[in-house]
Amino acid sequence: MNLALEAHSLGKRYKRNWALRDCSLQVPAGRVAALVGPNGAGKSTLLNLAVGLLRPTEGTLHVLGRRPDGDRDLLDRVGFVAQDTPLYPDFTVSELITMGARLNRRWDTPLARDRMEQIGIPLDRRVEGLSGGQRAQVALTLALAKRPELLLLDEPVASLDPLARREFMQVLMGSVADGDTTVLLSSHLLGDLERVCDYLIVLQTAHVQLLGGVDELVNEHKALTGPRRQRADIAGVAAVIRESHTDKQTTLLVRTNGPILDPAWTVHDVTLEDLVLAYLAYPAPGRAVLGVAK
Amino acid sequence: MIEFLLDGHSQVAPYMQLVQQVKQGLRTGLIEPGDQLPKVRSVAESLAINPNTVLKAYRHLEAEGLVEGRPGVGTFVRRTLAGPSLAGQAELRRELVGWLRRARTAGLEQEDVVALIQTTMRATFQDDEKREEIA
Amino acid sequence: MMWLAWRQHRKQALFAAVGLAALAALVIPTGISMRNAFTDSGLAACLRGLGTTEFLRGDGCDSLSDMFSGRYETLATLSMLFVFLPLLVGLFWGAPLVARELEHGTHRLVWTQGVSRMHWAGVKLGLVLAVTVVAAGGYALMVSWWLGPLNQAGQSRMAELSFDVQGIAPVAYTLFAVALGVFAGTVWRRVMPAMAAALVGFLALRLVVLVQLRGNFLPAHERTFPVIGQERPNPTLGDWTFSTGIKNAAGEVMSTGEQIQCGPAVAGRPDAICAPYGPGAYNFELYQPAGNYWPLQFIEAGLFTAVAAVLLFLAVRQIRSRIA
Repeated sequence: MNLALEAHSLGKRYKRNWALRDCSLQVPAGRVAALVGPNGAGKSTLLNLAVGLLRPTEGTLHVLGRRPDGDRDLLDRVGFVAQDTPLYPDFTVSELITMGARLNRRWDTPLARDRMEQIGIPLDRRVEGLSGGQRAQVALTLALAKRPELLLLDEPVASLDPLARREFMQVLMGSVADGDTTVLLSSHLLGDLERVCDYLIVLQTAHVQLLGGVDELVNEHKALTGPRRQRADIAGVAAVIRESHTDKQTTLLVRTNGPILDPAWTVHDVTLEDLVLAYLAYPAPGRAVLGVAK
Repeated sequence: MIEFLLDGHSQVAPYMQLVQQVKQGLRTGLIEPGDQLPKVRSVAESLAINPNTVLKAYRHLEAEGLVEGRPGVGTFVRRTLAGPSLAGQAELRRELVGWLRRARTAGLEQEDVVALIQTTMRATFQDDEKREEIA
Repeated sequence: MMWLAWRQHRKQALFAAVGLAALAALVIPTGISMRNAFTDSGLAACLRGLGTTEFLRGDGCDSLSDMFSGRYETLATLSMLFVFLPLLVGLFWGAPLVARELEHGTHRLVWTQGVSRMHWAGVKLGLVLAVTVVAAGGYALMVSWWLGPLNQAGQSRMAELSFDVQGIAPVAYTLFAVALGVFAGTVWRRVMPAMAAALVGFLALRLVVLVQLRGNFLPAHERTFPVIGQERPNPTLGDWTFSTGIKNAAGEVMSTGEQIQCGPAVAGRPDAICAPYGPGAYNFELYQPAGNYWPLQFIEAGLFTAVAAVLLFLAVRQIRSRIA
């Protein structure tokens, strides 16, 4: 299995606060991975580390098999869109494309120009005259024009209206369908990402809470309801993620490692959103990495 | 050519929704053997979903023998839905109506009936799957 | 990368070109008319007659010289304002170079393209420093040429503020200001604080050198002439006199900041003005001789260029490892 990104006990500290701590994760190549977590969880930190804008305080990080520390060859192969899509305000779209061509060795100018035309962004418009959605599209196109092997997007649709969000995802999915790009995009809204991602990383309070392929995770987790009782070991349950009790009923959200045959429990499927919310509500540092995709 | 829709709020997994829409298309005659299904790329782009989801749907249909993929060309419909014959369905339907009447006489409300059917369905189909695995 | 550096800084280069052109349009016509007045008024001939004699009796060229200087007094005073030019360049070209990228977050765009930070910094710095040297060299040359006749007429080119706008020192000051601005930008990471820091740093070092150090770079000379007599130093030598006073016969300093001249004693009684200082008293002045102009220019230019180099090294180090 090829790994686009691999971290071992990665940590980043600013002065006294750890933005990321003991973070171990992998992103297999070819996936569209979602990096989910509340604000301040460490998502931006992880992405900035991956692209060499930050240096780790501890641990290791490998991107496409290399350390991202000032590696110019790696920067040619990784596309990055930072939070708030920074662009030079007085540059025209055409000048931004020229900049990309001059600074990158792998660059597809016709692709960039065609995309702008498809989305309806005039090449001679200055960045300061573009709407938020258009700026996000421009930033994405600039990243895609590098024909990257790995695309890192930091909250790309956070400040976009629903239509702009949809258009952004459409362009992204079309591009993923075209080639062998691995995508890692972060958001604090899972809803944006559900249709689009097949791999999931959940970050909370600077630690990894959940990691794995979306299909595997959804299959492995179940909600069990049954008459109220003390929780005891149940065959087929590897871990209880969340439990709640009313006076008559107990509900458990569990990770399974086999079929639940105990007839006392009714087994329900869980949605990805339920799953993520449960892990976010009950964060635990150093929670075991699960469901690594094969 | 068939055009797909996706219901984000449905409990049904996206890839299964696509599968169902293809089957529905076959049932209603919207698509026929020899027709091409939309390219993975264009479905992914128009619905803003992961291309792997589309691939999964097409592979599922291929495993059921309904479509076949021709490399470099596209995915094409192979045969119509060999569903149960209308006569067979009529028989099942009659039995079901009788059972429903008995359930109502026994005092079950509609929600009770649905709950009973769902839990029994799940248990039975799981059992059957296990039996197939063992066999 | 060259394309990007040019595109980002082309406005600054344009300002520099326009500024130099405007300066030339001002300097050249007035300079030529000043030179004509210099010869036409007879001042040039008078000064040639004086030569480099150290002491003068009588008027010398004083009246012609005062008339000439008076005519161009306002322009000469205005030329002192050029002292601030290096600071302005440092603030507007140096401080935003790195700080603006960091403040707007565009470093997250440009440092993730296929160029290393060092290459990025090298090209941007190289371009700005090259334009700085050319622009600073340009205005230093023009101002030096313009001040020529005034220097000869008695305004020493080594005097405070006159020294600072001529020769090669302005180029070094400008390099220092730009380097300071760039470095401040890498530390404060926002344009306004970087400008403030550069302003303070520039003024501090310039004032310290100007007030405390420049007089001591090379040994000062002392010139003396008696209190009683008619000889006085030639004011058109171009020396930089920075301390004057009166000493008594034993060499003790009796007063500072003034010089006196009296007639000889009449009938055994000394002149009332000179009497308090006793017989044998003399005027003294501490000065840097005119010949030390270029050595002092080189020393000061070298100092500021060295400081600039250190600041640039530190700035590059910040970019490479500290901004992470």
